[in-house]
Amino acid sequence: MKNNLLPLGTRDEFGRRAVTKQKIISVVQRHLNQRGFSVISTPLLEKQEVFDQYQLGNYQMYRFLDPEGDTIVLRPDMTLPIARFLSSTNIPLPQKFFYVGDIFRISRKLSGSYNELTQAGIELIGYDSLKAELECLTIINKLSKKLLGKDVEIELGIADFAPTLLENITNDKNQQSEIAQALYDKNIPEYSKLIQNYSTASQYKLLKKWPRLFGDPESIFSELKEFDLSTELQDKLNNLKEIIKWIKQVMPEQSISVDLSSRAPQSYYTGLTFRGFYQDGNDYLFSGGRYDKLLANFQDQTEPAVGMGIDIDLIANLITPKQKSQKTMIYFNKDQWKKAESKLAELDNGILSLSETKKDAEIEAKNNNATLLDLTGGNDFD
Amino acid sequence: MTENRIKIALTKGRVEKQILPLLDKAGIDCEQIKQKKRRLIFDSPKQPYEFILAKGPDVTTFLERGAADIGIVGSDILTEHRSTQYELLDLKTGQCQFVLASTKDFDPDEPRRKIIGTKYPNITKKYFDSLGQDVEIIKIEGSVELAPLTGLADAIVDITETGTTIRENNLKIYDYLDKVSTRLVVNRMSLKQHSKEIYTLVDKLEGVVTK
Repeated sequence: MKNNLLPLGTRDEFGRRAVTKQKIISVVQRHLNQRGFSVISTPLLEKQEVFDQYQLGNYQMYRFLDPEGDTIVLRPDMTLPIARFLSSTNIPLPQKFFYVGDIFRISRKLSGSYNELTQAGIELIGYDSLKAELECLTIINKLSKKLLGKDVEIELGIADFAPTLLENITNDKNQQSEIAQALYDKNIPEYSKLIQNYSTASQYKLLKKWPRLFGDPESIFSELKEFDLSTELQDKLNNLKEIIKWIKQVMPEQSISVDLSSRAPQSYYTGLTFRGFYQDGNDYLFSGGRYDKLLANFQDQTEPAVGMGIDIDLIANLITPKQKSQKTMIYFNKDQWKKAESKLAELDNGILSLSETKKDAEIEAKNNNATLLDLTGGNDFD
Repeated sequence: MTENRIKIALTKGRVEKQILPLLDKAGIDCEQIKQKKRRLIFDSPKQPYEFILAKGPDVTTFLERGAADIGIVGSDILTEHRSTQYELLDLKTGQCQFVLASTKDFDPDEPRRKIIGTKYPNITKKYFDSLGQDVEIIKIEGSVELAPLTGLADAIVDITETGTTIRENNLKIYDYLDKVSTRLVVNRMSLKQHSKEIYTLVDKLEGVVTK
């Protein structure tokens, strides 16, 4: 067997893609630093129990045994490790954190998916004010402009809208979860069959419409007008309307949609959910929401929290690299190092040539798409 | 804004033949597919849809990766490949059913670990799991009926439309599993990006399916 092959689902990043990704990360870091977020970095390895609450979807985790016989995993998510960190330290709250790092999710093999993904994100822990959600929405708006030169579409949802509405329709927990499952998966043949049981219920018309309750906020709200919703649901919707009104005032250009038919990104979400997508791209670029019970996985006391992940790899796929700027390769003798150093500082795209001879330096320049700047005056060193 | 072109991955072969009349009836131009020769991509200037022809399992791969927006594929393949995309419509063609079949002397209750031949290991496993039985599964790519006849397996799990092939090979049906039909599946992100165009197509097709 050859000894230079990669494991399935991994890749080396080099050249244009590596540069693009690095630039995206630095834009995100600069922006979040500027907003006063503190950086946090947790290990790639965690004990499996940290992710007990985590819904893996179609993925699996990389698992190992440590020398003590405990199961260790490569983290599939960044939020739960931060919750673990907060529950085991006495960091005073509230706090705003941001992170950038790699997560690992084993997807179906030979499907063209990568198992190591770069994610950035923020966690606002200890804030119960709506301001925390608004801060996230502002960041989506600003970062998408900075990174893609364009707004993404922000899609808002309510994590417990579907469970609450289903509780109003039936007391049967099994039915509730079966209908929710078919609704979230938009398995319409199955969903239509399940709601047949409620064809005489007052909410049947709403049940029929439900899978398509996403899109333009105005039309969603006007469609909902004809239904008699519980005050609990009305309150949730009014809250959503307030947020939309706020976005329209503060970011009038921002396009917004509402989705009341989808599953929250994770089961620990409790309130508003928000995601950002682009007309191209096969997934959400931003995804987050409120999860007030997150810390309850690790400690008795709960803390209000809002967080969001940013898919760096997907953004990198969407960015068309700009025309390469011309680089200059500086060829010099060892005793000219100081001079070469000041040239490097002066040039925008300078590279020091580390070749011994001018001939080698010419090849080096060619490999790097650079023009050669010869400081030696034609005399090779030695 | 780029034009919204919707890419539809159609399972070639039987599904394609059964679905073309439906598409026709729904007013979708498929002239190009009918005169396809050896091409695999069909674009029509008259409508926002572009068709690609692929094998069933590949249709699910195209959909999962977002390389196609819509897939038209059998529910057998969707279940076997654990599709996570949106299943918006039962097109009610290609109707058949999964069955457990074997030679006449097969005893389904015989107390031992059985060997089952199938093209669908996941569906087979799910079925025997539901019976609380552990079985050995042998993956077979085609002519599954051969497995019990040659002694390769004790029984098979396969789909059948009328049961003719099974009977003609002197096999007997012992149990009926899930029903199968052709479905219209949509990539999750595409539904958000092109909801108007996609629902227009779904509604047109739904109109001709239920008639």
